[in-house]
Amino acid sequence: MSAVVHAHPQSGPVLGVAGPAKNKRVLSEAGDRGRWWRFTAILLITAIVLVPIMVTVVLAFTPGPNSTATGLTFENLASVFSGTLAATWLQNSLITTLSTVLVSVAVAAPAGYVLSRGRSKAVSGYSLLLFVMQSLPIITSVVPLFILFAAMGLVDNLLGITIIYVGSTMTVATWMMAAYFDSIPISLEEASWIDGCSVFGSFTKVVLRNSLPGILSTAIFAFLLAWNDYLVAIVFLRSNEIFTLPMGVQSFFQQNATDWTSVMALAVVMMLPPIIVFATLNKYFSVGGIGGSLAGR
Amino acid sequence: MTTTTAQSGLSRARKGIAPSGTGSGNRKSKLSAQTTRTFFWLLLPSVVLLVLIHGYPLIYAAVQATHDGDLLQTGDFVAGDNFAKVLSSPAFWKAAQFTLMFTIVGVFGSWLVGLGLALLLRTKIPAGGTFKVLLLLPWVVPIVVSSTAWNWLVATPDSLIPSLFRNLGLGTPLFLADPNLAAITVMVFKVWVSFPFMMMMISAALASVDSTVYEAASMDGATRWQQFSQITLPLIARSTYISWILMTIFCVNDFPTIYLLTGGGPVNATTSLVVLAYRTVFQDFATGPGVAIAFLMTMTLVVISVLLYRQIRKSSVE
Repeated sequence: MSAVVHAHPQSGPVLGVAGPAKNKRVLSEAGDRGRWWRFTAILLITAIVLVPIMVTVVLAFTPGPNSTATGLTFENLASVFSGTLAATWLQNSLITTLSTVLVSVAVAAPAGYVLSRGRSKAVSGYSLLLFVMQSLPIITSVVPLFILFAAMGLVDNLLGITIIYVGSTMTVATWMMAAYFDSIPISLEEASWIDGCSVFGSFTKVVLRNSLPGILSTAIFAFLLAWNDYLVAIVFLRSNEIFTLPMGVQSFFQQNATDWTSVMALAVVMMLPPIIVFATLNKYFSVGGIGGSLAGR
Repeated sequence: MTTTTAQSGLSRARKGIAPSGTGSGNRKSKLSAQTTRTFFWLLLPSVVLLVLIHGYPLIYAAVQATHDGDLLQTGDFVAGDNFAKVLSSPAFWKAAQFTLMFTIVGVFGSWLVGLGLALLLRTKIPAGGTFKVLLLLPWVVPIVVSSTAWNWLVATPDSLIPSLFRNLGLGTPLFLADPNLAAITVMVFKVWVSFPFMMMMISAALASVDSTVYEAASMDGATRWQQFSQITLPLIARSTYISWILMTIFCVNDFPTIYLLTGGGPVNATTSLVVLAYRTVFQDFATGPGVAIAFLMTMTLVVISVLLYRQIRKSSVE
């Protein structure tokens, strides 16, 4: 029962005023013990949880069965890039993902602004519509879109899957942008209107310029969704040189299931970009996107 | 820089509005007509995409679900035949049952793990921030990558984990070959992928709780369990509720977690509704029944999500 008290060491002084000094020391010793116990528990759990990821990394740099190298090696990575279309897949993934991020933010930001500032029935209806659409299984739209895109020559085409990614990220992205715009006081805009600025002008000059964190977290969300997608890719991509990395990794895995070191080298290539994005933009990373925006609104 | 301009504008506005109240009313109505027009243009790209990527396919899916035919051409109108076929097939009900189990375990399993870790990480521990970041990795790493790693760990009798079991004298479990075990493995994999989401949602909610509440409670003699059930749980209730809703949607719609680990097998033991719909359309080329399955899911989810949206909105007003 007292553990909760010393669980917040920074609040110690507040309590200390009331209690005798000796009592406080006893509390903080017990707190230290509790803290190390927690530390050990977290360390163990983290180690177990990360086993699959560590296995991937270790195998990727372990010499393959036919290798003469000892210790850690970059052979697998090199052989994957020379022996497969890994470079093309990486490029395809980068192109589709970055286009998705750009277009998705460009569409979601203005729509999110309307959702945030609009007070009409139509706007709240649209907000509900977006929520419903994001909860629907993508497989339902995939089949009709496949037929439509086949007629338009967009099957086995990077533009085709990019359009679908933009469509499927857009709903949540709009919500995320709206949630962020909610936090920007409207008084800032009112001031600019009085200065003769139009609504569009205040949106771009006042709201957007102050929304970098919101834009970045939306961009991260779109990035992860497009980079990690498998369902759309498996339906729409057919030929090896149009594959994105998920398809590339998967097809390579199916053909060389026993060549684990090469498979894992390719897997490392695929997981590196999201980890880099996540590591550098960690503070803008709002998990699940819509979760944060729903909780915030 | 922008902030300063805006702020100076703001102070000017404060000065300006006070003396001349009449002018601002006129300006307001002009603004609102202009606003509606601007809002329309700002919303337009989003609406166009929504209609193209979500609206049109949904209507087309309704057409396909009520027609014969394949991917290349829509056949005759068969009304509810596809739905009848689907609803009377044991495979559909088996998949529905698995989807239900998968969703229940996925939602509450990941919630419990996420809650436990969020509570552990809540207090100051050495390198706490690093652990928080590391523990998010299962959610960040692409499923294609993590499923490959899990395959390496459990797929064959000679994989790492089965060997470990063997060496401990626990036999050699066939994690992906035994139907029951495969179902459990897929669910554990889903929990592994999803708990960071829950952890982050709960951590965010916990961070906003004022710690003095607990001090007051413990001074009043509340036990830790009382503090948890009477203070912590109510305070994270809204986040929890939202995260359950979202995780339910994620689990029901999940494809790669299942498909990449087991492909829906062995003997369809891990075939969820989405996997069944995918296989029906793209492997059995039975477009009508496949889309009918997806459509049944869609209708269920529309109803559920409209109800839940109302609930969320209501709870946010309170």
